[in-house]
Amino acid sequence: MKNAAGRNSAQWVLLVAVFIIATCGLIYELVAGTLASYLLGDSVTQFSIIIGVYLFSMGIGSYLSRFFNDHLLEWFIRIELLVGLVGGFSAILLFLVFPLAFSFQPVLYALVGVTGILVGIEIPLLLRILKDKVEFAELVSRVFTYDYIGALLASLIFPLIFVPYLGLIRTSLFFGLLNVGVGLYLCRYFAGEVRGVTAIRFGGILILIAEVAAFIFSEQIMSFSETLAYNDHVLYSTSTPYQRIVITKNKHDLRLYLNNNLQFSSADEYRYHEALVHPAMTAAAEPRNVLILGGGDGLAAREILKYRSVRNIQLVDLDPGMTKLFTGQDILAEINRHSLKDPRVTVTNADAFIWLKENKKRFDCVIIDFPDPSGFSVGKLYTTAFYRLLKTAMTPQAVAVVQSTSPYVAPKSFWCVNETLKASGFQTIPYHNYVPSFGEWGYVMARQSGAYQLPDTFAIEKKYISQAVMEQMLQFPDDMLAHEPLEINKLNNQALVNYFEKEWGKFLDQ
Amino acid sequence: MKRGEFIRLTTGIAVAAPLLYACGETKRGTSAIPGEIVGASAAAGHLLRDHTFNPPAAFEAKEVVIVGAGVSGLSAARYLVQHGVTDIIVLDLEQQPGGNAASGGNAFSKYPWGAHYVPVPNNNLTEYLSFLEEARVITGYDQAGLPVYDEFYICHDPEERLYVNGHWQEGLVPNFGLNAAELADFKQFFALIDHFKKLKGSDGLDAFSIPVDTSSRDESLRALDRMTMKVWMDSQKLTSEYIRWYVDYCTRDDFGTPYDMVSAWAGIHYFASRKGKAANAAHNDVLTWEQGNGFLIEALRKNLDGKIATGALATSVKASGDRVRISYLDVATRQLKGLEAKHCIMAVPQFVAARLLGDTERGKAVTDYFHYVPWMVANLTVGDLHERGGQPASWDNVIYGSASLGYVDATHQQVQQRKERRNLTYYLPLTHTSPEAARKEAYRAGHTFWAEKVLADLHRVHPDIREQTERIDIMLWGHAMVQPRPGMVHGEARKSLSESIGGAIHFAHTDLAGVSIFEEGFYQGLKAARKILQKT
Repeated sequence: MKNAAGRNSAQWVLLVAVFIIATCGLIYELVAGTLASYLLGDSVTQFSIIIGVYLFSMGIGSYLSRFFNDHLLEWFIRIELLVGLVGGFSAILLFLVFPLAFSFQPVLYALVGVTGILVGIEIPLLLRILKDKVEFAELVSRVFTYDYIGALLASLIFPLIFVPYLGLIRTSLFFGLLNVGVGLYLCRYFAGEVRGVTAIRFGGILILIAEVAAFIFSEQIMSFSETLAYNDHVLYSTSTPYQRIVITKNKHDLRLYLNNNLQFSSADEYRYHEALVHPAMTAAAEPRNVLILGGGDGLAAREILKYRSVRNIQLVDLDPGMTKLFTGQDILAEINRHSLKDPRVTVTNADAFIWLKENKKRFDCVIIDFPDPSGFSVGKLYTTAFYRLLKTAMTPQAVAVVQSTSPYVAPKSFWCVNETLKASGFQTIPYHNYVPSFGEWGYVMARQSGAYQLPDTFAIEKKYISQAVMEQMLQFPDDMLAHEPLEINKLNNQALVNYFEKEWGKFLDQ
Repeated sequence: MKRGEFIRLTTGIAVAAPLLYACGETKRGTSAIPGEIVGASAAAGHLLRDHTFNPPAAFEAKEVVIVGAGVSGLSAARYLVQHGVTDIIVLDLEQQPGGNAASGGNAFSKYPWGAHYVPVPNNNLTEYLSFLEEARVITGYDQAGLPVYDEFYICHDPEERLYVNGHWQEGLVPNFGLNAAELADFKQFFALIDHFKKLKGSDGLDAFSIPVDTSSRDESLRALDRMTMKVWMDSQKLTSEYIRWYVDYCTRDDFGTPYDMVSAWAGIHYFASRKGKAANAAHNDVLTWEQGNGFLIEALRKNLDGKIATGALATSVKASGDRVRISYLDVATRQLKGLEAKHCIMAVPQFVAARLLGDTERGKAVTDYFHYVPWMVANLTVGDLHERGGQPASWDNVIYGSASLGYVDATHQQVQQRKERRNLTYYLPLTHTSPEAARKEAYRAGHTFWAEKVLADLHRVHPDIREQTERIDIMLWGHAMVQPRPGMVHGEARKSLSESIGGAIHFAHTDLAGVSIFEEGFYQGLKAARKILQKT
């Protein structure tokens, strides 16, 4: 920089840097604003606050610039790299932090603030670096011209080009790279004038590599952050030969999904299991031997164990993966109150149909908690053939109950189960209740003889069921009736699967 | 070359050669799917042709000897035992009785090697219905008198699907991707069939009935037995590609005979003779079991313990005074043994009967009028197959335009949720050339040839069939069934060949009915047994 030409070119290099810094700074602000309105909603508030915080932070930066007295160029480059680092990773950081809802806004404003401060330091620093090289009026005019042109450019290319083509994560990384690139270029250009240039350059290159890597893997980061943002935390997932078991947890509840179908939410499962178990157990009168088909989560068993008359519970569930999980995993076994470890409970992992065919014992109460009849395989467990076999496992006074999908969503399916039980020689008592995580849910009690009498009391520990509630559960409003003659579900017509597919298909299409 | 070097070299080659050969074998072994050609009937049959054996030393006395333990033979034996004739023996050269209803099995299920279902029976077949009651296939009758069938034996839903126009559709009657004219052909065809179902001849009998001999002999109907199904369809202007394929598929399926070779009478009989009603099944439902009609074979032979000799290849049947002498080769000991009976029922195909009787004139009549089609049946043990779109895997899975009849899933009637493996039974009637030529070809080709043929066909609908198939066994039926070509059903040949000889030798086989279906075999056996019961 010994001659005028050299000074002149140094000046232009620094002005281009201003231009880029201004563009990048505004981009970071826009990224933060967009993300905040995207994740939190209410874009007017979000943008308004973020612009305010950003400009105010720039003011703080400008004020702080007075404390930089020596090695201005060096500081300028350092801050340039720092802006590249903070701004570049800002979108990723915000996406990852969002699921931890309590900390999102502080992190958001801290990021905007830090970026604003750093950008705010840069302009005064630059003015001071150039003050000896350019006449003052000229200097102020040039620096602010480039600053504001950069701002215009940023506000145009951000919504029109970058968000549509790169997305938020890659946009912020792209401008981070640009910042770092400028910093590294300045290192090289002013190599002679900057102290400790090697260390600064080394740091710059590290940031560069990290941002390039993040840019390449942005898809994975995005999808990871989305699982964090939109699903509950997955506690456990496994694929057994029979099904995919997923257990999720958030601060409200714990949920079990089998093949992506919700089986229970710990928040309201008591409503389902009390409604499934207690009407039949009470109707059966002093039941000693109880059979559970399905129900590997041990929750029906938990309810049954509340009865002092019960001597044996035979649980037959297809999947050893399920029963093992709900026996051995503490968080899960706490929900079923360790019912599967109770000495009265015998767990058998077998196919219910095959088990019933071979079974010689008779039970006083049978709780049938199979998955919904969504396919031909599981549909067989709702046929006349199955229910006739079921009869051979029941004492003459026994009561069985079948979980029978939603009579609101799928009234034909629900009443088809009812008709099929009747055709198999049972008297039926259909009822339903509301389980928030499921919606309206239906059950059919079946016995071979005897009229149903509303019990005076449900003399067990409970949160939901009572005589009054039971009375209500027996009432079906018009929108839960089938309104047409229904087919009986048989092995050779699988009528139920067809009803179920149509009704749930229509419901889920809405 | 010195002597020592030469010895070393030749020993080297001698040692290395089998190793090299073995390597080649191993390579071939791993690339092919394991399995074998099962069934020893042809080899045992050829023993008879290629060897001479000493005549039997003695002739053991029996009241009745039945040659052949297929449906006809076992039905006759069952009926005789039920009516007090217990001094009987049924001879069969196979290790397992059953004839075309033979079956096998593995760890995953039993499976059929031949006939695999019966339609819901016609309600006028009293004896057949009571047999099904005995077999607990019928569990009772409803108030209207309709049979109630055991639900586990009625084919479960989904029953049939057809891969047509790149899609699995429900049912075998093509409809996916057909235009209005093509669909109209089916409407017209089934209207005609409906007409034939209700039609009675001038003699007051049903136009088409089971057994075939109970059908009307009205001349206008008999005329249908003088033309092929194709000629009749042309006359009805049923000419779209789809209806032709469908009818051809059906006649190949039941009769092993393409529609341009099968008698129109037999072709229509296939559709118009089924009138069964059930309390708990539709008229077009079928009864089926893991092992196919092997289940009915077990029921037929339930009271025949000790009365069936397997691995017993009959070599001659000769009238001797008022008795009949039967010689047979005990395949295990390779000894000829003799039986002397009051009556003999020849429950074997007519070409075998003629040979056993040593009757060349009879043999000529058989050669002139009876044509037996060869079949290849394969059983594949498979894992989870990739599925093309549409109807899910069904009991009967047919590929439009294929030379095969598709496959039946032997595990379909299983009720458990998860099936580790499935056994698929694949059927291919060898109708592409004359039966004689096809038979020769079939026996010449090895396991690999047949396995590849099956896989290539199924690859269209299950692209991962090669990876998912663990084993393929092949059964070759040299003379699977008689072909009901024109003149067979209403011609004179089968009538004259059905006549008993000298009141002691009787005939019972589906080839004498002209159509190879379970009911015909069942009633062939009953008819022969009744002839004997009348005389005792």
